Order: sequence, then structure tokens, then C-alpha cells
Amino acid sequence: MGIYEFNQQFAGKPVINWDANQPLADAENHVYRISIDWDDSEAGEKWTDRLAMFLDDPASAQVTGLIVGFWGGEPGDESAAPVVEALVAARDRLPLLNGLFLGEILAEECEISWIAQTDVSPLFEAYPKLEYFRVRGSTGLRLGAIRHARLKELAIECGGLGRDLLHDVFASELPELEHLELWLGAEGYGAEATVDDLAPLLSGELFPKLTYLGLRDSEITDDIAGVLANAPVLERLEVLDLSLGTFGNGGAAALLASPHAPKLKKLDIHHHYCSDEMIERLRGLGIEVEASEHQTPDDWGDGEHRFVAVGE
Amino acid sequence: MRSVSDAAHRPRYVVLGNPGCRRVGLFQEALVRAGLAPALLVSWLDLLTGRDDLSVTVQPGDVVRIESPGREFEVERELLAWGAESADEEEFDRLSAQRLQALTFERGRILAPRQWYLGFRRALARVSTQLEACGDVTTMNDPAEIAMMFDKPACHAHLREAGIPVPEALGSVQSYEELLDWMERCRCPRVFVKLAHGSSASGVVAYQFQGDRHQAATTTELVREAGEVRLYNSRHIRTLRDPHEIGTLVDALGRHRVHVERWLPKAGLDGQSFDLRLLTIAGEPAHTVARLSRSPMTNLHLLNDRASVERVREQAPAVAWEAALDTCRRTAAAFPRSLHAGIDLAFSPDFRRHAVLEVNAFGDLLPGTLHAGQDTYGAELAALSRAA
Repeated sequence: MGIYEFNQQFAGKPVINWDANQPLADAENHVYRISIDWDDSEAGEKWTDRLAMFLDDPASAQVTGLIVGFWGGEPGDESAAPVVEALVAARDRLPLLNGLFLGEILAEECEISWIAQTDVSPLFEAYPKLEYFRVRGSTGLRLGAIRHARLKELAIECGGLGRDLLHDVFASELPELEHLELWLGAEGYGAEATVDDLAPLLSGELFPKLTYLGLRDSEITDDIAGVLANAPVLERLEVLDLSLGTFGNGGAAALLASPHAPKLKKLDIHHHYCSDEMIERLRGLGIEVEASEHQTPDDWGDGEHRFVAVGE
Repeated sequence: MRSVSDAAHRPRYVVLGNPGCRRVGLFQEALVRAGLAPALLVSWLDLLTGRDDLSVTVQPGDVVRIESPGREFEVERELLAWGAESADEEEFDRLSAQRLQALTFERGRILAPRQWYLGFRRALARVSTQLEACGDVTTMNDPAEIAMMFDKPACHAHLREAGIPVPEALGSVQSYEELLDWMERCRCPRVFVKLAHGSSASGVVAYQFQGDRHQAATTTELVREAGEVRLYNSRHIRTLRDPHEIGTLVDALGRHRVHVERWLPKAGLDGQSFDLRLLTIAGEPAHTVARLSRSPMTNLHLLNDRASVERVREQAPAVAWEAALDTCRRTAAAFPRSLHAGIDLAFSPDFRRHAVLEVNAFGDLLPGTLHAGQDTYGAELAALSRAA
């Protein structure tokens, strides 16, 4: 399974697929997705050429949000390094940029674990006004320990998150961070985090303004819910997002016993393995529960198998 | 103007099809709804065995509809027998007449699609000859154009020559080794390998590789039995990651003639990827459904989710939608003797482009899908009466 559809909103604004033949209009109120497709690629066009064309439109200086879509080459074969380099070089021409999504690439374009990411740390220095940063694909991805005074939203979407990336995130200083989303993924695609690895985050000592925590697309969602239930971080959260993973009755029971869970505004567990009865009991906490996409575990006679929503 | 109640001018309909088949039943119902007499039926099996001949049944002024010969084992066996006697330009797997006689029905078994096609093409030529002897008849679809639509490489080349956007084809491939060679040469790491004469997702492999990572999604099951490799269609998509296993499958399909083309990424809708089945009637786009899938195969079977055309129109920029409709009109025009054509069309993820993936001769089985208040068969009959 993968991701098959583009987001229509990013950084609070509607997204437009940038079309080289259409001059930018109302640029400050839209986010632009710049991508390469096969025909462009065949014609020898590179993503960085398209960015250059985009920047040639004088209105691009008003743009606040960019999405980097498929960047061409053979899928996954050409890393995002030239893309990051070009974006860093464009820093003075995008003075208002506060939202960047690097690699909104669909499974139909490239499997998520085949997306060749790169060291994105120079972006945080180049764009001090950045508030929203998402990245898709963890292969080759490095964040470094981020020091950023404005970043509010950080999300790593991937099929398997390595321990090194987790350490990068936990070593970051992000005093304004409100929304943290980590897609932990499946072991077969590089997921390494155990509940013990999450301890620094659960202690609540990182990211003083955190109100949205997403530990998504995980094979160990129930274990995570088990340790979250009594974790100090939960006390500060408004939204707990355990969606796309393997949340089941075990996780629900842990949250039902949690002193902090009733203080949440919203619990998102969509793509879950929970019984209707447990969902009702979670709703009984008086919080909003998003519990769509109920899954049925596979059983080949050797016990239940639960699958994350986004792997490969 | 002719009045519908003017019985003298109501044409008689003749269907060449399989008795009891759903398609025939739905068409008969449409005739009744239109106030017409049910069609006379000539069965494929009788035509193939020589027990019946269209020239006996069809009279001048009749309208003839050729229906799918599919889903009937005895008809399949007979078409294979017709194919056993046909010469071929290239060598592909064959079943001898003797082995055909011994065959029993096995659900999902892919027998010898190339041989089946040779038989079908020959049978269609026979249909043409028989119809020519009938004088002035109207045909809803044309034997030669049906034969073209059932030949994916030929259909692809035909569309390409007509300037219709199609995925790039990678030439004729008979083995996995050749496939890898082509993919490297064309710098094309994602391809669809399809049986040249398969319908819907039969014998389709969506294959991609990067470095030493290989992945192939397929509904084709490969079974080794009695010293031979047998292929079966399954409803489940399997993902193969072992290049040897992928190679064995591609080699096995290659023995039945395959069409290989670039796997164009498709746009998404409601969290899934999608393509369109768009039926043209008398050259104009009519019944349309969006087929959603979380796999590379959107045409797997009727179990796939569907979305209304309105949902697509909400997503696709108007200019992209109009361009796609125009492509469908031009595709229909490339088959001028077919009243209807079932076009499979996909948009690129950003809707900037689109391509025609297939043209289906019997693509009008879309029960429950209405256009201007009519089902596919009703709309076809209305188009015919307008033309009359």
C-alpha cells in the first residue's frame, strides 16, 4: 500500500499544480506544487529547470508555500540533492517561504521507500521563516540536529523510520514546534524505533509547545499507546494521532486507563484494528475519535497479522 | 420522420453471442425497453462449428451486433481449434487439436491466448464473409476493428499513428532478459507487461526495478504441473520481489506474446489511484466511470471501487477534462465502423497529461451506469435510430 493522492491543502492554503504556461495569480494565497513527469523527463527537462522557470515569474517572490513533487530521473535513482541545492540557492528569491513539502510523490510515481532523499539540513538555515516542513521518504534522508526559531510543523512521512533520524529529531531545538509527525513504518522497510527509543519524546521535555503528536503508520502502535498512556507528553497534547498503523483493542485499553487521554481534543486512529465496542468506549472519554478505515487482520493459521497503511 | 410505432420501419436485430450470457440478456432487455422485438440470436458455438451461418439468419435491413465470445469454455476451445490451424508470423505456444479435445474447464486458466486470438481473428473474418453475403445490413461493430482492438500491439500502433496519446511501447519482448535489456535501453524502470490478447487484468504484470530492488505486482499465478508451466488468473494481487520468480513469470507470458509499455503514473481520487472507462457511442463520449485502486491494476475486476464522473470533474481542471474528451472523440474516430468503443484513459498525477491505455471492443458492459438517463445499450439503440 502506498499514497495515491495529492494533498489539496498545505500550510493552511490550497495547493495548485504549477503550470509553466499559467502566470502566477494570487500567489500569496496558494501553495504551488512543482513536479516533473515522464514527458518532461524524456524532453531532458530537470526539476531544477522548472524551479528556475517558476522563479522567473516575478510573482514568485510572493509565494509562501512550495511542494516539491516528483523530481524526475529514474524513480528513486536520482536523489533530492540537486533539488535541495537549488532551493537553498533560491533563498533570496523566496523571501516569504514558510511552508515546504519535499517529495510529495505518489506510489504510482515511485514507491515511498524508493524515494531517494538527501541531507535536508541546509534548508533550515536557508529559510529562517519556515513554519511548515514535511518530507516524504526516509531513504538517504538526513535532518541533522535542527536549530530553528520558527518551525511549527515537522513531519517525516515514510515506510520505515531509522533510529538515526529519530535521534536527529530528538536532538533538534525547535522552541515553536507544535505539530510533530513521525511515520514509523514497517520493519521490512527500515523501521527501527522501539518504544524505548521514543522515551526522550514521551518525557515531555522536548518541544515545549507541542500540541499535536503523530506516531503514525507503525507496526507497534499498541505498544506505543501503552507507554503514552502515562507519559508526561500526553498531558500537553490536544491531538494524538496514531493513525495509519496497527492500533487495536490493546492500545484502546491502555488509553482508556490513562489519566491524560480524557484531556485530549482529538484521537486519530484511522486505519485501525479496534473493535466497535472499544471505539465506543474511547468516544465515551468525551473526545473526538477519528476511527475510519477499520481493518481486519490477516490470519494464515499462524496468528494475526496487522499491516500498516503505508509500506510498499 | 419515422415514427417509433411504425412497425414496418423498425429494424430487426440479430446478435452473435453466447446464449444465456449476461451481455446478451441486458441487450435484449434494452430492445424491449425501446419497444423493439428481441433480437434473433446466432450462437458463437454454432457459428464456429458450422451448425449456423449468419447468412441464413440475417436479412437485408437487419442490424447485427457482435457480442463477446468470452466466458464460455466450449467456445474458447473451438476458437483455440480455429487458431490451431492458423499460420502465425512468429512462434508462440500452441495447443494441438488433440490436446484441445482432452482439455477440461479450469477456472482462471490462461490457455494459449495467441492461438485463441488467431482463431478469433479467423472467426471474425468468417463473420465478415457471411455478412457480405447478406446484402445491405447495419453492423453495430465491425469484425476487422474488433480484431484490431483485441491485438494490443496493433491497436497501440494504430492509435499512435492517429496522434492519440498512448504510453510509449517497448517493442516486442519474448523473455525477461529481453525485457530488462529494453528497459535499460529506453531508460524505463517501470513497465506494464500485458498479454497481447488478454482482457482486463489477465496476464498483466506491473514491474519496476531500481538497482537490485525488483517489484512486480500481478494477478497471474504460475503453477508447475506435469512438467509444464501453467498460468492462471487470480483475483488477488501478488507482489513478487525475487527477480528469478519475476523472470519465470515474464518468460512464461512471453511465450504467449506480450505487449510492453511504460507504466505511466496515474492521478489519484479519494485516496486511491484511478483511470476512466469511457464509452464512446457514435463518436461521442457517453457513459463514464472512474475505477479506483490501491494497486497498479485499476481494471482488475468489478470489485474495485468506483467513483462518479462528477468526482473526477471536481478534481481535474476543466481544460484537462475537455482535452481528455477530445482524445476520446479522436480515438473513436480511429475506429469509424464501431458504434461504440470502451476507452480506458488515465490522467497523470497533476492532470497535465492523459493517455489512452486500452480500447475495448466489448467495453459497454457497464451495468448501472447511466448517461442522459439511459444505460449503455439503450443509448446505443437511440444512436442507431437517430442515424437511421
